[in-house]
Amino acid sequence: MYRLARRTLAAAAVSLLAAGAANAQVKELRIGYQPSPIQDASIAMFETWGAKNGVKIVKVPNSYGVYVEKMTASLTSNSDQYDVIWHNDDWGQLWAHLLEPTDDVKGLEFAEKWGMDKIVFGNAAGQNTVVPMGQTFSVFFYRSDLVKPEEVPKTLAELVEASKKLQAANKVKFGYVGGMSMNHSWFSWLWSMWGNNCDVLSPPYERDNKKLAANGWKSMMTEPCMKETVEYWWDAINTHKISPRGMPAYDRNEANAIFMGGDAAFTVADSLWWGTFNDPAKSKMAGKIAAARFPLGPNRKEPFAWDDIWGWAIPKSISPERKKLAKEMLAAMMVDEEGQMKMFKATGAPPPNTQFWPKIAAADPFMKLLKESVLDSPNKVRGAYYFANWPAVHKAFNDTVTKAVTGKREDIAKVLAEGAPLVSKAAQ
Amino acid sequence: MAMVREPLLFARLPVGGRRLLFGMALFAICFLFAFPVLWLILTSLRPESGVYYVHRGTEFTLASFVEVLQDERLLQAFFNSAMISTLATIFSLLVTVSSGYMLSRFKGPAASTWFGTIYVFRCVPYISWVIPLYFVAQSWGIYDTYIGILLPHIAVHICFFSWLMKGFFDGIDPSMEHAALIDGCTRWGAFIRVALPSAIPAISALAVLCWLFTWNEFLFALILTGNKVPMVTVVMAQFVTEMGLRWNLMAATAVMALVPAFLLALFGQKYVIRGLRI
Amino acid sequence: MFGEQQRFMLFLIAPAALLLGLFQVVPIVIGANASFRDWALYNPKKTWVGLDHYRAVITDPAFLEVVLPNTFIFMILSVAGSLALGLGLALLLNRPFRGQKIVQTVLMVPLMVAPVIAAIMMRWMFNDQFGIVNAVLEGLGMEGQPWLVQRWTAFGIIVLTDVWLWTPWFTLLLLAGLQSLPKEPFEAAAIDGTTTWRVFSHLTLPMLQPVIVVCVVIRAIDAFRTFDIVWTLTGGGPGRSTELFSIYAYVLAFLNLDLGRGSASAIVGGLIILVVGVVMYRLVDRVTKS
Repeated sequence: MYRLARRTLAAAAVSLLAAGAANAQVKELRIGYQPSPIQDASIAMFETWGAKNGVKIVKVPNSYGVYVEKMTASLTSNSDQYDVIWHNDDWGQLWAHLLEPTDDVKGLEFAEKWGMDKIVFGNAAGQNTVVPMGQTFSVFFYRSDLVKPEEVPKTLAELVEASKKLQAANKVKFGYVGGMSMNHSWFSWLWSMWGNNCDVLSPPYERDNKKLAANGWKSMMTEPCMKETVEYWWDAINTHKISPRGMPAYDRNEANAIFMGGDAAFTVADSLWWGTFNDPAKSKMAGKIAAARFPLGPNRKEPFAWDDIWGWAIPKSISPERKKLAKEMLAAMMVDEEGQMKMFKATGAPPPNTQFWPKIAAADPFMKLLKESVLDSPNKVRGAYYFANWPAVHKAFNDTVTKAVTGKREDIAKVLAEGAPLVSKAAQ
Repeated sequence: MAMVREPLLFARLPVGGRRLLFGMALFAICFLFAFPVLWLILTSLRPESGVYYVHRGTEFTLASFVEVLQDERLLQAFFNSAMISTLATIFSLLVTVSSGYMLSRFKGPAASTWFGTIYVFRCVPYISWVIPLYFVAQSWGIYDTYIGILLPHIAVHICFFSWLMKGFFDGIDPSMEHAALIDGCTRWGAFIRVALPSAIPAISALAVLCWLFTWNEFLFALILTGNKVPMVTVVMAQFVTEMGLRWNLMAATAVMALVPAFLLALFGQKYVIRGLRI
Repeated sequence: MFGEQQRFMLFLIAPAALLLGLFQVVPIVIGANASFRDWALYNPKKTWVGLDHYRAVITDPAFLEVVLPNTFIFMILSVAGSLALGLGLALLLNRPFRGQKIVQTVLMVPLMVAPVIAAIMMRWMFNDQFGIVNAVLEGLGMEGQPWLVQRWTAFGIIVLTDVWLWTPWFTLLLLAGLQSLPKEPFEAAAIDGTTTWRVFSHLTLPMLQPVIVVCVVIRAIDAFRTFDIVWTLTGGGPGRSTELFSIYAYVLAFLNLDLGRGSASAIVGGLIILVVGVVMYRLVDRVTKS
């Protein structure tokens, strides 16, 4: 009986050792991602590297609907499911303490500095936790068959004028359409607000949590600039009728469908939509769409640009060997010129290595525009806030402005004043 | 009074007219009832540039189906979903038929405690336990496995089905079982050989509904599966991306998922109606 | 220790109790534990905070003045709507006519499609620009509506979708109930020349009552926790005007990733429906016994 037990133990020990040896020699890397053209293009680079180095790339697609929830739960429970995961500026601070620092990844010196800022992706020790995948941000799209480049509205007032003119001439059903409902506020509310020297929290454009806290997480809901912004959209929908009445409930799918269906002349969408808008299989308006800078509100004269990155991150909890291999893979991706060129072709997203940008811009007018008006712009805005309660603040903000824009015009100031403490409270 | 006058007016019409009116009303009801699904089918046949403006344009194509079918995971997902639905149906019914029988045939503290437990857990909103369920599945090492998705799907039906099963057995006269017991049959014998056969219609009715439920279930599948056990609903959910919804692909997959459900409903409905007597 | 009967009873419920324990009770207890702690999903400190989360939920004016009334209105409208429609359709299907089979199959259609997909389809159908509903209305010369930006039309669409999804259940259960009713009283009524309405209100309805009440109780509990279709259709908007209790809990737990507060709100909601359910169940009991 004893002998049997001892033999079993010995066998178990041998198999454990064998497993340990197999672990030390990592032959695969597991990528937690979401299927979309930009991530597919990035993973294609991983696969090129994997084929060269004999590492199997295991793709584990996740659903967007529960991505953050599941990934957060997986990271905090040290479950060792992924070696590299899709990362985004919105969760930069949420996950910073759960991710491996990436400062030692080679090739990171070619990355764009704004997108990787410590405010967004830095951990408590000031180390970076991301490797960029590509730049993503929204731009102002217009119908090039209806509007000449020099006629593109530069202010919100001009947007109304241009829209009315096109509508009166029966060229198009609506002037502007863009997402407005929760989690799609960027495509109407946020850009128009930023273009009017306005923001969710005060002071505008500030993303340093210390400064926001020092200001008592004060919201800008009661500022005149916010009232102007809400009134602008109220008038756009009800007075000038340049936007559909259902717009406050639209998500980006609905807005983009209307734009691609040819029923609106202007929209704001992520630059990644460039490819889709101009694809005849997906869009009725293919070949008739161009992009420009955002129109500005009355309070602002200088153009601004919104710029963020998507990235990859490495969970802190995986083994050192896996970390090392993952970093090698990401370093190879950073300098993969052929793969990054393909990424731009497939998506219209500026790739992670800034050294390739001039070359792409020289050959491609869309990249030229992105580079001039966004990437090289001195006045950049970040698309989110970088504290844990941002989703709650975002929801409180969106609920308030939606309530204001769907109510009576004279009640706008009152509704915003009621919402102001809720936005501040959500931040704390 | 209005309720009385309506049929009278209807009765005054000639028989042919009455038939026509009845037929038209029936058609209208059916059409409205089926409309969202008919529209979904039409949507799935439109090219990607026309999936939202379904009524604008007359081009139709199978391109979305072709694109969806290129993903080898889809076939696997259909197989998994069918397996999980079938197994979950069998096991849910197995465990709830006995639990419902117990609730129906016995009175006293044990039965009422069990009924109380079932009732209380029926009331807990699932929003509150899917995240802990994920932790549980991970720590037991059953996340993203067959067992890990199957067992919760069985558990989720226990409350509802035990309750319905109790109702079915309440409607079956227990005197036959008593007679069997007197004849020397064991309690198990009385349950399995006497009570169970008379509950077969009810069980088959619940089987159809349980299968449809599991087949169409989203949240559990999303939380509890990763890549190894893809389910149809999870594959569908993956068409929602950070860049928006691939509605044409989602609609095509949904239409394909409709086919087994439709066949089951078509052939299973007579059992459902016969069996659902509580 | 146990008598033969006790052992039999125990064996009957053991598998169900085991599964229920592992996959509902354990997670629910973990959630309940979290509801007393500072437990953010991204930073589970797990420090004890007592009843803080509960206090925050039950003193939140949005919860008391918007979410709870909305939830009850939704529950009543949805249950009443699907009961009325289900009863009507069950009565219709209870007598034979040509094509009855086809009608019956068509009425089961909502059971065949995943509720989330149905809700997305509904949302697009009610879009004010590309939706078919406005296209038909405008074709008939009426004005299209921006359905989802007005509180009550948005609410109406949520209720409509839920009624559509659940009417088949009521139809099937009530039809099965109708078919098992004894024939004699109806034959007697036919000989007496009683009007259809009187037969319905004095014979059919009272005899169906036990079935109806069970359906209503079970369905009401479910309606109280309805989540996916509301989240897909309106997300609780415009503003928070169609926010139901489950959306409130979901936003806390899934959007703000605050497992503690989210669990507390879910438990508060669970307790409310528990009490409402017991009251309704008493009603069931009394009705079935009388």
